[in-house]
Amino acid sequence: MVTASFAARRNLWVAAGLALLIVVFLVLIPARDSLNRPLPLSMLLGVAFGALLQRSRFCFWCNYNDFLTDRDPRGLLSILTALAGGTIAYAAVLHGWVPDPFAGRLPPDAFIGPIGLPLVLGATCFGLGMGLTGSCISAHLYRLGEGSVASIPVLVFVLVGFVLGFLAWNPLYLLFGSAGPVIWLPAIFGHGGALALALAGFAALAALLIRFGRFPAPEAPAQPVQPVQAIFQHRWPGVTAGVIVALIAIIAYFRVAPLGVTAEVGSIARTYAAGQGWLPQRLIGLDTLRGCIAVVKETLASRNGVFVLGLVLGAAVAAQIAGQFKPVLPRAVSLPRLAVGGMLLGFGAMIALGCTVGVLLSGTMSGALSGWVFGLFCLLGGWAGGRLRRAIP
Amino acid sequence: MFLRKLIAVGAFALMAGVANANEGPLVTTEWLEENLGSADIAVIEVSVNPGVYERGHIPGAVNFAWHTDLVDPVRRDIATREDLQARLQAAGVSDDTTIILYGDTNNWFAAWGAWVFDVYGLEDVKLLDGGRVAWEAEGRPLDSAVPAPAAGTVTLAEANNDLRAFLPEVVAASDSGSHAIVDIRSANEYSGTIIAPEGFQETAIRAGHVTGAVNVPWSSAVAEDGRFKSPDELRAIYAAAGVDGSKPVITYCRIGERSSHTWFALSRILGYDVQNYDGSWTEYGNSVGVPVTNPAGTVWTGL
Repeated sequence: MVTASFAARRNLWVAAGLALLIVVFLVLIPARDSLNRPLPLSMLLGVAFGALLQRSRFCFWCNYNDFLTDRDPRGLLSILTALAGGTIAYAAVLHGWVPDPFAGRLPPDAFIGPIGLPLVLGATCFGLGMGLTGSCISAHLYRLGEGSVASIPVLVFVLVGFVLGFLAWNPLYLLFGSAGPVIWLPAIFGHGGALALALAGFAALAALLIRFGRFPAPEAPAQPVQPVQAIFQHRWPGVTAGVIVALIAIIAYFRVAPLGVTAEVGSIARTYAAGQGWLPQRLIGLDTLRGCIAVVKETLASRNGVFVLGLVLGAAVAAQIAGQFKPVLPRAVSLPRLAVGGMLLGFGAMIALGCTVGVLLSGTMSGALSGWVFGLFCLLGGWAGGRLRRAIP
Repeated sequence: MFLRKLIAVGAFALMAGVANANEGPLVTTEWLEENLGSADIAVIEVSVNPGVYERGHIPGAVNFAWHTDLVDPVRRDIATREDLQARLQAAGVSDDTTIILYGDTNNWFAAWGAWVFDVYGLEDVKLLDGGRVAWEAEGRPLDSAVPAPAAGTVTLAEANNDLRAFLPEVVAASDSGSHAIVDIRSANEYSGTIIAPEGFQETAIRAGHVTGAVNVPWSSAVAEDGRFKSPDELRAIYAAAGVDGSKPVITYCRIGERSSHTWFALSRILGYDVQNYDGSWTEYGNSVGVPVTNPAGTVWTGL
């Protein structure tokens, strides 16, 4: 029989081993990528983001589902906090980078995507996939660190979904003549106007959540919570998590690139499928865009690759320390649902040119209208996916 | 008497040394750092990759986007005189300003900026030797603040198209042998083994090179630290390919920008008479009936 203290000690040793692995990677990866951006910093930001996701359960689907099922608004308020904090921080940076937002230039690298049917279709599919598999892509990645075995088949089918998205891209683009207009709100309202508008939008949504949500009655702790327990064992408060997400997001944008988790996944899918000769050589209108877009990989040590690696390892360390590493095998009967859901996540992320982290978080923070549109249709898709999930194993 | 003479010679040599730092077509990183903030200079970054300038640039440098500031966004042409003049004035450039250009990827597009400025008659234009690579390697300061310089008063001359080679001139030069034609692309592009490097969208439907052109890849002009090789080394490298300044020179590449780097080496450093063919292989390799040499024999099959 394994005693509790033995299990806790073992978890700490595993966590220490994983932390050492992180240090080894930090030493081994190149100091800079081809654009002279610091790769170790990118990986450290991934570690921080992974630990934060794990500690605060900052998961788009879980937070949304909490509201759908129990009308618990805390998770969604956490996301709104992240968006509001990040939007303020992005505005400060972009004011320096693009002093004249009306000049017709977009801020470099920002996830400002086109708004058209591909975005609507992609966001809806992504939401459906979240509902069916129980997580978005970033949450599946952090759950790998918690021992979620079910996330492995989901992530494999995300790759399949990406390939389907690549195949659908050219016909979709040609059908509508383009992927749609690219709308950056500061180019219409100015930096201050766009910031005020976005904050008003977040405030209105928060007011609605508070008005129609039901906060669970606080449970009085049996004994006072020690700071160490509050940090390493208890779930972090939503508002704290939101502020830290905003902080990570702005450091990432300022020093490396905007937060995103699908570029690497998409690049792996594209590199493999292109190598097999499955894909068209050119994705129209896509290869000229930058951002959350999958390019054929030239090197393993990309900024997004080390970020995702850090995310998984950071979540794993946090989960071990908290004693929340619990491998769970999926039931065989659930595999079709996970497969279809995974494909929808990958297809949606490809067609929408990003996911909840890239398009919704980073895009909205940078003033992209595409972030808001993605959010709306992702919620609609998630609602439908959640209902579907109840009907199937 | 001898001592006084020695002091005088020494002082002269010292002064000449200081002055030389700002003479010629290149400035050193040391000189630039010492002169940052001087009202007489305008530092302009022309980098290829997005986000490079914004995440950190030489303090006080303004950013020129090569896709929009140096070209006409509709016609395939360099920027119009009016557009470029307005852009330079906004960057604080006046007629007596020394413009110092630098950028990433070994100054490819910074050199292209120097060529465009030369076409419009700007004479006091220099490159930071080594560009960003050298500046960063030496740990010199970077800044993320975007300057807002007071508007300058520069007026540009009409475009001097003698500095450009257009397609008919390149064909005539190929037929007559009147010019040394330098293809600065990779050996595989020159030989026709490949039409364009992997991943590039702008390409041509014929492989090979302009008949009579010699191949001296642009990187031949660059030392390991990213700086231009010495004038003597450059002279020897090009002379070995038969380009010795005895005939006027035409440089070209794939889309006409990297060839500006060689244009700079040959024209500004060695003083040869050089035209840049900005149409380059994407125009030439798509043109009907022009003389092409294709040693590899690669046949375009649509891929």
